[in-house]
Amino acid sequence: MENDAKVIPIQAAPYNLSRQAGEAENMLDHIVDDFPDNPQSMAYFYDLFRRVYCHGDEVKHEGMLVGTTCIQAPEELIYAFGATPMRLCNGSYHYDQKGADFMPAKSCSLVKATLGMLNSETVIPKIGKPDLIVNPTTCDQKKKASVMIEGMGHSVYELEFPNVKESEASRVYWQRSVRQFAARLRELTGKKLTRKNLQAAMAKTSRAQAAFRKLHNFRRKSPSLILGKDAFLVTNAYFFDDIERWTDAVEKLNAELELRDEAGFKAVQSKAPRVLFTGSPPIFPNLKLPLLIEEAGGVVVTDETCSANRMLYDMTAVDEWLVNDMVDSLADKYLKPCTCPIFTRNDDRRRRLLDLVRDFNADGVVYQAFAGCQVYEMEYRSVADEFNKAGIPMLYIETDYSTDDKGQLSTRIEAFLESLKNRKKHRA
Amino acid sequence: MKASSPRLQALRDAVNHVHFNRFRFWFQLAAFVLFVYGGYLAIDLGSRLPFFACGYNQEGRAGVCYLLPLQHQLSLPWARLFSYAGIAVLTGFLIFALWFIFLNKGWCGFICPLGTIQDWLTSLRRRLGIRYSTYSHGQFAQLTKVKYLLLALMILIPLGIGGGLFSHSMSPPFCLICPARMILPMFTGDFSQFTIDFSSSAAMVMTALGISITALFLVGSFVKKRFFCFFCPMSALHYLISKPALLKLKKDGSKCTRCGDCYNVCDMEIKEIADDIKNTNIMTDDCTMCLKCVASCPETGALKATFAGIPIFESTEAGFIKRMGKGVQHGK
Repeated sequence: MENDAKVIPIQAAPYNLSRQAGEAENMLDHIVDDFPDNPQSMAYFYDLFRRVYCHGDEVKHEGMLVGTTCIQAPEELIYAFGATPMRLCNGSYHYDQKGADFMPAKSCSLVKATLGMLNSETVIPKIGKPDLIVNPTTCDQKKKASVMIEGMGHSVYELEFPNVKESEASRVYWQRSVRQFAARLRELTGKKLTRKNLQAAMAKTSRAQAAFRKLHNFRRKSPSLILGKDAFLVTNAYFFDDIERWTDAVEKLNAELELRDEAGFKAVQSKAPRVLFTGSPPIFPNLKLPLLIEEAGGVVVTDETCSANRMLYDMTAVDEWLVNDMVDSLADKYLKPCTCPIFTRNDDRRRRLLDLVRDFNADGVVYQAFAGCQVYEMEYRSVADEFNKAGIPMLYIETDYSTDDKGQLSTRIEAFLESLKNRKKHRA
Repeated sequence: MKASSPRLQALRDAVNHVHFNRFRFWFQLAAFVLFVYGGYLAIDLGSRLPFFACGYNQEGRAGVCYLLPLQHQLSLPWARLFSYAGIAVLTGFLIFALWFIFLNKGWCGFICPLGTIQDWLTSLRRRLGIRYSTYSHGQFAQLTKVKYLLLALMILIPLGIGGGLFSHSMSPPFCLICPARMILPMFTGDFSQFTIDFSSSAAMVMTALGISITALFLVGSFVKKRFFCFFCPMSALHYLISKPALLKLKKDGSKCTRCGDCYNVCDMEIKEIADDIKNTNIMTDDCTMCLKCVASCPETGALKATFAGIPIFESTEAGFIKRMGKGVQHGK
C-alpha cells in the first residue's frame, strides 16, 4: 500500500504568490492607496513597478547588459558602446535575508540584498544575466562583494575609484581608471568609442537629467505639488527602466505638475513639516522611511541620497566635443561633486545639505543609516554638528530592510514631525 | 537677485541664456579688427592700452600697448628719469590704470589680439580633432611664477639701460621677445619684424630669441589653450593692480557643488575656480576673464560677472542646459 502512495511533486509557487512579490505589492499598495490625489502621470510608474516587482515581468533591454553596483559607474560610456546599464542595488528584505550568508551579521542591508539577488535563480527585477557587472571600489562592503559575485558565476569588473577626491592626483587617477573602463567595454562589446556615439549617449542622459532637474525644482514649491514617496519611485525606476521611456514619463509628470502649480494645487497641508532626507538610499520596496514620514503628515521635499538626487543632479560640461575631452569631463562629473560618505572628508556633503535645506525651505532633516553601513554611521556626528550649528533639527534613524521596527519608528517620526510643527508655530 | 522690473529680468534672462562661445567669438573678432586695422580709419586710442595692441603694427594699429612706452620711459637716463621725466612715467601709468580698471582682465579674454589669435589656433586644432595638452599640477605651480619674473626683468632691464649697465640695442627688451611684435604686423602685410638684427651682439641675441619665442608661441598655442597668457607680464601687472577694477568675477561658494565643470572648460587650468568656496572674488593671476566658467556653471548664481557691483552675466541652470545642448534629443 505504502509503495503505491502517489508522490505529489512540490510545485514551485508562481512568482506573484511569493514572499518577494508580497513585499513589493504591500509597499506599492501603501504608496498608491494611502494617499488621495496622486498625480495621474504617476500611473506609468505605479504600473511599471507592479509589472516588474509584483508580477515578475521581464525587463527588456537593448544590446549587452552591464550591471552596476553604484552610481559611480559612468553609464554614458555603457550606452555609447550600445549596451544597457542596469543598477543592481536592491531594496528587498527577502534578498537581504538570502544575502546574509555572504556577509557578517552586522552588514549593510543594501549590499546583502544585492548579493542575495545575484545569487538567486530567479532574479527580480527580471533583467536576465548581466554580461558584465561593474563594481566601483567604493565602500569596504562593496569592495569585498566583488569576489563573492564572481564566485556566483558572474563576470565582474572592478572600477578603481579613489577615496580622496580633493587632490589633483586622485582626479588624474580616476580619469585614467574611467579610460580603462572604456577599454574593457570595448573588449566586451567589440565596438568602438566614437565622438558620435558618445555624444548621443551623453545627450540621452542629459535629457534625463534635465527632466529630473525640472522635477527637482518643482519640489521647491511650498506647499508641495508632489510627495516624496512618488519622487523616490520615479528615481528608483531609473535603475532599470528604458532611459528614453523614463524621460518621457518624467516630462509628462513635469507637465502635470506645472498645471498643478498654475491651479494652486496642494499635495499636502500648508503646515506640513518639510523634510530633507539624507543618508542610506531608499530603494524599492524598502521605501519604509519616506513612507512613514508622509503617512505621519510630513513631506519629503528633497534628498541627498544615491538613489535619487545624487544619481541624477550633476551635469557634465564639455569644452571640446572630442572623445578624450568628453571622457575626462564625464570622469570629473562622477568624482568631483560626489558626496558619498566613502571619501575621507565630507565638507561637500555638509555644504550640500545646508544648501538643500535653505533652497527647499526644509524644516528638518531625517538621516537614515542602514545598520552596518559604517560610513554613514560614522558621518552622523559631523553632520549632526553642522545642523546643530545652523539650528536645524535632525532625526537620526538606524534601521535596515526588515519591517519589525516599523511601529517604533513611526512613533519616533510622529514625535519629530510634531516638534517641527511646534517650532514652525513658535516662529510664526 | 534683487526684485527688479519684469523687463529688466527678461533682459537678464536673455543675457544669461546667450550662446556664450558664439558671442565671444564675434566680440573678439570685432575687437581684433578694430585694434589691428583701426589705424586705417585714423582711430587712435593712445599708447597706454592694457593689452597687446602692438605698436610695431605701425599702419593698422588703433592704439599702442602700454608696455612699449613704459619700457622706453624706464630706459631714459637716470638723471632724467628720477627728475621731471618721472612725472611722465606716473601719468602714463595712471592712464594705463584707468583703461585697465574699466574691464579688469576682461581685456585679455575679450580684446587682446594676441589672445584672440591663440583662440583661433585652438579652434583650428579642435577642428582637426587633435586633443589639447595640459600641465600637471606640479608644472602649473612652477610655471605660473614665470610671468612675474618676466615683469621684473621688463622693468629692471630698461632701468639698467638707462643707468648705462646694458646696451641700448636691447631696448625695449620685452617687445623684442614678444610674439605680438612679429605676428600682429603680419596681418597688415608687414613682415619686416621677421629679421635678426646683426648690428650688435645684444640685438642679435634679442631678435633671435624673439624669433624662437614666436615659433614656440605658434606651436605652443596650437597644443595648449592660451599658451602664452600663462607667461604674459602684462597679465602679472594686471593682477597687481586689479583690486579697484570695475569688472569682477564673483563666486558664491554656498551654491557651488564643486562639480568641476568650470575647471574643466578653463583655458588656463585654474583649479581654484572649482575648489575655492571661500573667496567671493575668484579671479586669480592666471585668469583671462574669458567668462567661459560662468557660461558652463550649472548652478544658478554660483558664478557671475559684475560691473561696478551690478551683475551683468550670471550662471543659471536654464542657461547651462541650453548651452550644453541638454534637454534636447540628439540630432536636433
